Amino acid sequence: MLSYALRRIGGVIPTLFIIITLSFFVIRIAPGGPFDDEQTLPPEIKANLEAAYGLDKPLLEQYGRYLAGLVQGDFGPSFKFKDFSVTELIAQGLPVSLMLGLSAVLLALMIGIPLGTLAALRQNSPTDYGIMSVAVLGIALPGFVTGPLFALVFGLHLRWFPVAGWEAGEFRYLVLPVITLALPVIAYIARLTRGSLLEVLRTNHVRTARAKGLPERRVILKHALRPALLPVVSYLGPATAFVITGSLVVETVFGLPGSGRYLVQGAINRDYTLVMGMIVVYGSLTLTLNLIADLLYGWLDPRVRYD
Amino acid sequence: MSQADAPVALDIDQLSVVFDTPDGSLAAVNDFSLAIRRGECVGVVGESGAGKSQSFLAVMGLLAANARVSGQARLGTESLIGRDVAELNRFRGVKLSMIFQDPMTSLTPHMTVGEQIAESIIHHLGSSAEAARARALALLEQVQVTDAPRRLDQYPHELSGGMRQRVMIAIALACDPEVLIADEPTTALDVTIQAQILALLATLKRERGMAMALITHDLGVVAGIADRVAVMYAGRVVELGTVHEVLKAPKHPYTAALLASMPRIDDAGTGPLPAIGGQPPNPRRLPSGCAFGPRCAYADDACRAERPSLIGPSSIEGTRSVACHHPLDGTRHAREST
Repeated sequence: MLSYALRRIGGVIPTLFIIITLSFFVIRIAPGGPFDDEQTLPPEIKANLEAAYGLDKPLLEQYGRYLAGLVQGDFGPSFKFKDFSVTELIAQGLPVSLMLGLSAVLLALMIGIPLGTLAALRQNSPTDYGIMSVAVLGIALPGFVTGPLFALVFGLHLRWFPVAGWEAGEFRYLVLPVITLALPVIAYIARLTRGSLLEVLRTNHVRTARAKGLPERRVILKHALRPALLPVVSYLGPATAFVITGSLVVETVFGLPGSGRYLVQGAINRDYTLVMGMIVVYGSLTLTLNLIADLLYGWLDPRVRYD
Repeated sequence: MSQADAPVALDIDQLSVVFDTPDGSLAAVNDFSLAIRRGECVGVVGESGAGKSQSFLAVMGLLAANARVSGQARLGTESLIGRDVAELNRFRGVKLSMIFQDPMTSLTPHMTVGEQIAESIIHHLGSSAEAARARALALLEQVQVTDAPRRLDQYPHELSGGMRQRVMIAIALACDPEVLIADEPTTALDVTIQAQILALLATLKRERGMAMALITHDLGVVAGIADRVAVMYAGRVVELGTVHEVLKAPKHPYTAALLASMPRIDDAGTGPLPAIGGQPPNPRRLPSGCAFGPRCAYADDACRAERPSLIGPSSIEGTRSVACHHPLDGTRHAREST
């Protein structure tokens, strides 16, 4: 297992390298550049700027220099946020986004799994139908609908939580954004858990557990739920990707100073280094979470072999 | 049989199981009655779909949700049918245990062997974790699992099929049950392991004085360890008697045909084995009269008109009964009969 983990971590580096290389060239293929703004710069100034950032060099050389910087942990300067390096921008925004995203995934697991379990245990009852209908809604409604709705109801009318904004360490600013972000994930996890648990409940080993005269609660929690969570764990990778992309909308709606906006703003502004920085960070995050998911398989089902 | 006057441990009385399906109801077990005494092993034989397993799953309260059970089953003086799960759990795994056909899938894959045995002991007997583990080890040794101390901490997938079935037996025996139901315990195992497991079950039954129901489609298995045998067809018991009587001189044509279709070691082995013609009846549309009638060489109008009931001493008396209008009287003329 340890050697498997090490090998997988080793595998992350070539994967990241491919992601970086592809992204680097794809961004450059897109028309326009970081200094083609509303007010057109005089050609000399633009040339100077491009020289200052090394954009006048051949593309391959730029690529080599970027990689060389990256190896030393230097994401380069941002082209748009003057006086900021990409590292600084990410260091500012990422903690907020991470807090938001991880809270959302955790909340989704904490609510989605029990909801799905309840629905499975009360299969075809009003409880089941109720939970599954709400789940379909949760999946269907995008964050830019639910977010403002929550801000309106719980922020403006009920005044339970702030409508928007952020103060470091203030939990109440996180509540609405986290719920908005978690809702579709809760719904999806509940559906996955329900379906998979229903299947496991029909297996022979659950029948054995019942034949042993164990209370139904123990049969479910100890014998049935763990194998039923395999699909949920597989979904954690895509869920994280969803939360990352979803966080952009949620951060915008609730005015959170997260890093989600850097990806989109960076792309629109052709802020090459910022986009690349975000891609490296999100790419590493996704790869890490997939690795964690794969290692969790072994815990859920000892028959999974790591070799 | 020496158990003839031992107290009845499990008394199944007129048990019926009907499944409600989208295409109508399906009668899997009809008026199944059987009493098993302490220290006695009753073989329950029949083709697939004859209702062998469903009868005993009903006793255990393990049927699918769409099953309706009527009739009664008593463990000593306690009735089992119609109880809710919490009440049943006072008996299941304690006084009444069951082992299943497929040892490959019947153990929980993410729990160690030791945990799965100790779990019952802790839950039902209130033992400490250490005491339960010690008892689990003793049980593993008793069911002749090799290298038992190491097995405690292994997962089921690290064990062979025969070892897993031994673990299943150890789980079933964990709380010293009075009744053990073994549902095709050797079907999924290869022949040498089959013989070992059967010998083990026979020993355990003898040593512990358990009542045992051995569900099987294999008459050879029954001949090896059962005291009495109940032959089932289309959800009913068609013949009941001591193993010696039934196998030596079957009275029901179905039993005779079943015996005739078994390969015999003393036979020259020329020609194909006789098979029972036709197919087991569709439980949705049982034939009127005797369910075996359409496949029976002796069937006449009486057989088609009226279903024969199980005639003979009551099931508790333990001697011969048969449900046939024209019971066979000679010895083994079954080969010609099919």
